[in-house]
Amino acid sequence: NLSVTRQGFNKLWGLEYYDLLQTRNILPPDRVEAPKVKLHQEFLDNVNCSPDIFRCTLTKIPESNSLLQKSRLPLGILIHPFKDLNHLPVIQCSTIVRCRVCRTYIHPFVYFVDHKHWKCNLCFRVNELPEEFQYDPVSKTYGDPTRRPEVKSSTIEFIAPSEYMLRPPQPAVYLFVLDVSQLAVESGYLQIFCDVLLDELDRLPGDGRTQIGFITFDSNVHFYNLAEGLSQPQQMIVLDTDDVFLPCPDNLLVNLAESRELVRDLLQQLPQKFQTSYDNHSALGAALQAAYKLMAPTGGRISVFQSSLPTTGPGSLVAREDPNQRSGKDAPHLNPATDFYKLLALDCSGQQVAVDLFLLNSQYCDLATTSGVSRFSGGCIYHFPLFKASNVLQAESFERVLRRYFSRKIGFEAVMRIRCSRGLAIHTFHGNFFVRSTDLLSLPNVNPDAGFGMQVSIEESLSEVQNVCFQAALLYTTSKGERRIRVHTLCLPVATTLPDILNAADQQCIVGLLAKMAVDRSHQSSLSDARDAFINVAIDVLSAYRVVQPSGPSGALLAPHNLRLLPLYILALLKYVAFRTGQSTRLDDRLYAMCQMKTLPLAFLIQTIYPDLYPVHCLEEQLTTLEDGTLIPQPPRLHLTAEKLDHRGAFLLDTGDHMLMYVGRSVSPEFCTDVLGVAGFNSIPEEMYELPVLESVKSENIRNFINRLQAERPQCATLEIIRDDSPRRVKFTERLIEDRTESALSYYEFLQHLKANVK
Amino acid sequence: MTTYEEFIQQNEDRDGIRFTWNVWPSSRLEAARLVVPLGCLYQPLKERPDLPPIQYDPVLCTRNACRAILNPLCQVDYRAKLWVCNFCFQRNPFPPQYAGITEQHQPAELIPMFSTLEYTITRAQCLPPIFLLVVDTCVDEEELGALKDSLQMSLSLLPPNALIGLITFGKMVQVHELGSEGCSKSYVFRGTKDLTSKQIQDMLGIGKFASPQQAPQQQGPPQARGPGGQPLPPANRFLQPVHKCDMSLTDLLGELQRDPWPVAQGKRPLRSTGVALSIAVGLLECAYPNTGARVMLFVGGPCSQGPGQVVNDDLRQPIRSHHDIHKDNAKYMKKAIKHYEALANRAAANGHAVDIYSCALDQTGLLEMKQCCNATGGHMVMGDSFNSSLFKQTFQRVFARDQKGEFKMAFNGTLEVKASRELKISGAIGPCVSLGTKGPSVSDTEIGLGGSCQWKFCTFNPNTSVALFFEVVNQHAAPIPQGGRGCVQFITQYQHSSGQRRVRVTTVARNWADATANLHHISAGFDQEAAAVLMARTVVFRAETDDGPDVLRWVDRMLIRLCQKFGEYNKDDPNSFRLAENFSLYPQFMYHLRRSQFLQVFNNSPDETSFYRHMLMREDLTQSLIMIQPILYSYSFNGPPEPVLLDTSSIQPDRILLMDTFFQILIFHGETIAQWRQLRYQEMPEYENFRQLLQAPVDDAQEILQTRFPMPRYIDTEQGGSQARFLLSKVNPSQTHNSMYAYGTEGGAPVLTDDVSLQVFMEHLKKLAVSSTA
Ligand SMILES: [Zn+2]
Ligand SMILES: [Zn+2]
Repeated sequence: NLSVTRQGFNKLWGLEYYDLLQTRNILPPDRVEAPKVKLHQEFLDNVNCSPDIFRCTLTKIPESNSLLQKSRLPLGILIHPFKDLNHLPVIQCSTIVRCRVCRTYIHPFVYFVDHKHWKCNLCFRVNELPEEFQYDPVSKTYGDPTRRPEVKSSTIEFIAPSEYMLRPPQPAVYLFVLDVSQLAVESGYLQIFCDVLLDELDRLPGDGRTQIGFITFDSNVHFYNLAEGLSQPQQMIVLDTDDVFLPCPDNLLVNLAESRELVRDLLQQLPQKFQTSYDNHSALGAALQAAYKLMAPTGGRISVFQSSLPTTGPGSLVAREDPNQRSGKDAPHLNPATDFYKLLALDCSGQQVAVDLFLLNSQYCDLATTSGVSRFSGGCIYHFPLFKASNVLQAESFERVLRRYFSRKIGFEAVMRIRCSRGLAIHTFHGNFFVRSTDLLSLPNVNPDAGFGMQVSIEESLSEVQNVCFQAALLYTTSKGERRIRVHTLCLPVATTLPDILNAADQQCIVGLLAKMAVDRSHQSSLSDARDAFINVAIDVLSAYRVVQPSGPSGALLAPHNLRLLPLYILALLKYVAFRTGQSTRLDDRLYAMCQMKTLPLAFLIQTIYPDLYPVHCLEEQLTTLEDGTLIPQPPRLHLTAEKLDHRGAFLLDTGDHMLMYVGRSVSPEFCTDVLGVAGFNSIPEEMYELPVLESVKSENIRNFINRLQAERPQCATLEIIRDDSPRRVKFTERLIEDRTESALSYYEFLQHLKANVK
Repeated sequence: MTTYEEFIQQNEDRDGIRFTWNVWPSSRLEAARLVVPLGCLYQPLKERPDLPPIQYDPVLCTRNACRAILNPLCQVDYRAKLWVCNFCFQRNPFPPQYAGITEQHQPAELIPMFSTLEYTITRAQCLPPIFLLVVDTCVDEEELGALKDSLQMSLSLLPPNALIGLITFGKMVQVHELGSEGCSKSYVFRGTKDLTSKQIQDMLGIGKFASPQQAPQQQGPPQARGPGGQPLPPANRFLQPVHKCDMSLTDLLGELQRDPWPVAQGKRPLRSTGVALSIAVGLLECAYPNTGARVMLFVGGPCSQGPGQVVNDDLRQPIRSHHDIHKDNAKYMKKAIKHYEALANRAAANGHAVDIYSCALDQTGLLEMKQCCNATGGHMVMGDSFNSSLFKQTFQRVFARDQKGEFKMAFNGTLEVKASRELKISGAIGPCVSLGTKGPSVSDTEIGLGGSCQWKFCTFNPNTSVALFFEVVNQHAAPIPQGGRGCVQFITQYQHSSGQRRVRVTTVARNWADATANLHHISAGFDQEAAAVLMARTVVFRAETDDGPDVLRWVDRMLIRLCQKFGEYNKDDPNSFRLAENFSLYPQFMYHLRRSQFLQVFNNSPDETSFYRHMLMREDLTQSLIMIQPILYSYSFNGPPEPVLLDTSSIQPDRILLMDTFFQILIFHGETIAQWRQLRYQEMPEYENFRQLLQAPVDDAQEILQTRFPMPRYIDTEQGGSQARFLLSKVNPSQTHNSMYAYGTEGGAPVLTDDVSLQVFMEHLKKLAVSSTA
């Protein structure tokens, strides 16, 4: 009874713990919420930065480095700085109030000494408040400075005055660099690209100054003169890929408004143009050099679509992957074969050009090498392995990515600076960018789907302060040529005891940071080292907790509430494409997965490694919530194990960009008729990619449920319905990562392994 | 008995041939003593609409080393059905299809009037002619517009099956793909970097990647076929039949823009002529080797970058002059010449011609590029503007057609010369290259392009003539050779514009004579006009490599020696000197030749010199003589127009003169006539005859302007007019006060100084000829 009471208290204080070996259903029925940051001041708790944007691995910062070491937890922050936001305060003022010493932007966690002064809580300098700051732009009255939006919101955007510009803000400039080699043509991606761009052309972010251009390449580089007034686009081909040059001084990048018809014409012609090409070489390097030359004067975005290994001209590569080693214990060739792409990316970065890479390959393309062009230029990378436009699902998935890509917000010529309170230091950065100086990230482009991570160390004792702050300031140019600064500030309390630290850990954030660190370790050391490190973190943390909570039953493996999912997630990481061994994994797929680990915003990262699984055959019985007058079922999340499946049921696996609905062979005939619109299980088509709109409660429920899931993400996931007896069922079953496989432990075995090592 | 004059005319009309000597000395020594070498001027394609169409292959002598063609000079045994080769005396049986011949029933090739005959080889593959336009875009809007008009117009002048291609250039070089669906397509190259044949092959799709044929799983479009159904090489992306692409090419030319690269103040545009031409030559070389083709290069300025550069882009540095060249101060010249010569040789080796149409106020580098035209038979046209009638008319005339409506121009020809064993062939001077075909009849002594009995004429037309030089090898004191006559056979194989393979055969014979005993027989057969033209070609050929004064000295020496040999005189008595009528004009030709723009270069630019010399090396005898000694007609009230002396004395106040220098047509109004014209008498009805007098030379000039290629510059001037200098520079300055004159005795050789009157020149010539010390 006492223990029950105690558990109640523990729960109240966030101090619950679990014996992992005894807790079969450790997943919360709903989503895993980020732990609350408790600054013990209601106002501050309410205005702190959203965990969707800014998170720390620890919601309480150890007062010293030694305390941090005792916790065995990594300290770092994850940020999603350009996330699409619904309510973003934007202010325009003549003076942006910043600390005179450390240049921190004023934020809600500063201390107002009096009506005229504020104290910076990063460097502790007392600054004067400008007269203007008393003015509340919302109520248009003078008064208390705390009414200002800067002080009422941890996420805010300033319209920058001219001193924030080194040159007039650049226009939106988009250059598309398209592989048209034989493999590219065979993949059929170009038709989809052209169709979608034609459709989205008017939604490309920009204004009257927006420029656009196209380069295609096979063993040669092809340019397109789109000069206003031409009756047709003119294609110009440069053969000299060893010394590529621009064939004409202008009209390769043109004003979209002026040359819109020519652009449309080109997009309509392009797919046919290369149908009869049998050029099986790729001069990707030369095409990129040409793109750089074209973009350097303005800056902007280069979007590269690649289908073949670059085989000719500068930056050409040889196939390094040995297919026999795909399931080996270690993965060789994770590092670039040449620094050509990295150096090119640095050139691009210097001229405010970012390179986004779309890899649509059927063969090895050496993403380890070519990805450098995006990783160091602030670009993003998409991968469509074994892409065939004739594959409905792949085509749909590509189309959705493109639609999002073309129309999403974009920031140009951006820099991001992360500041933190004195005593803390940021030392290792994760994401796609170039570190220009110690705390300044050069981001030629910033997109709303990019996440970043930083490791933090404690350099000085924090015992003098109650809390610490991290502030990220992103200076960028909007697609309409406006210079803006988006500022996010995260404030965290300082804690003095180990239990406090452990109980305040943020397990998802930790996993996010560990994944990034593991990618670095895979590159710098080896994949097996990175895997060992994952396991060691779990053992170390649980060992640390054992020091804190020695009272558990013998034979138990105790974990605090906030770290109870850590072993599960670590197992998921060990079985994720990026880090798995013993299972055939193509090198490019592994590399892409690693790139994802570096850049995915946390929520998507978690969903990627540990997808959500729901039973969907009995949604009528599930709790429903009412949203905008629609009943939405809320089925519980299930563990990723076959144990949870039932051959009479249907289950939806949601990996973030893809949903798989697995239909058991004994599913009820009503489900087949009411949801799938077919007579019975045996009538479910082999390929089925959408749910019919049927006038049944079942159908409506399941569609409402899926729609709600879709609404949470920037682009809709594709859906695939898989019969239990389909050869494609492996796509579903391979994600049941808690089960044992030939080469990997089950979750329970993994826990036992941890238990054996926890001291 | 016909006179030699008539004989020479007949021979020219029938066979297009003029020999310097129509009776040949029978020994090597005597031939050498004739001073003017034994040679001929031959027009391989002289217009002969009267020739019967022969649709079978010529019959060849069966002796392998001979292979001469059956001709009217062969002895025939009609009963035995045998013919005797008149070159090697081999007895050859007639082929079976000749079984029916009798003395009464002879095939055309045995009939004496068909000493020139043309065979059409019907079984040969038919290929249409190829035209590759190479267009400079570094010109102003007006020039480009005019050029585009001319080019678009030319499409309608081409046979529909002719292949056409387009390369444009400025700072970059663009090779345009024709006939591609949808948007236009071109390959772009830096103008500073020559293209390797590998790159050309890549462009053509031969190199880096598999062609559709090698990718069996792919269904490519059916491969394009030539007009004869034969598969065309992949270059057909760049060279398309006119009928398939004239619409798209018209559009392409219509949208052609000036070179888009900015040109800074004080700079010349960067113009990549050298690379453009190299690509054109390379493209044809890869795609259509040994097939008739014309590269038509249009330039509006000098090449200013890359291989073939003749000047840099700094406007403060003018293009080289003769003085610069003389002082070895022409920085780019030698390298550029090397570049263009290499291109010329490659083009010629493949039977491809290069035309250069140069229209600019300043020089464009014809000096450096000339070999491209000279070696391939291509045209060199020089004008001020693409918007001038000179260019427009001339360009149209490139596509002139004969009475049958077929192009006069022919392609990819080879001229082979066969000669009796007493003769060897020393060389040729004309718009051709030596093919280096060795044989027993090839002389070791080279004159012009020697070391061969075959020459390539990548393109030629009825006016084209070639000078051929022979060496008599019979030893002194040997008897007159068998048959008493020497024979020469000219076999010209070429691609007719219809695509047909044709063979033109001319066989001629001349009597041998013993010069020691019968020099008068030989001298009577001297053709002074032919001699003048052959000497002019020889001199100009030398002038291309030798220094000016040396060349002039050589001309003088040869003239004096000829006079010594064939004049009648008493030693050291100039007044006794006489020349036979058929030698009498020769000194005058030489006088005008040495004063002409061909040898006196300093009043002209190097480009002009190259242009003038280019024309002299290819035109027929009549036109060449006009170039050497312009003709002057006088129009007056005293009678019908008449030719007058090219002399200052011909300039009279009441005369209108019409001068034809080949390059210029000049009408000069005497002082009185000019005054009347100024008073507009010609507009008054009562002075109708004056109007007619004014009109007469204009009409005559028009006639020449309408027919000549290239169209001459037309000048209308009068006494005291600024353009009168063109006349004054040509006429013999008999009435000037310049009689200052002296021997040059450098190196002991007699030298005549420049710019003296013909009278003074002749007096001195006589002195030298009769001198016992000279
Ligand atoms: Zn500060
Ligand atoms: Zn013979």
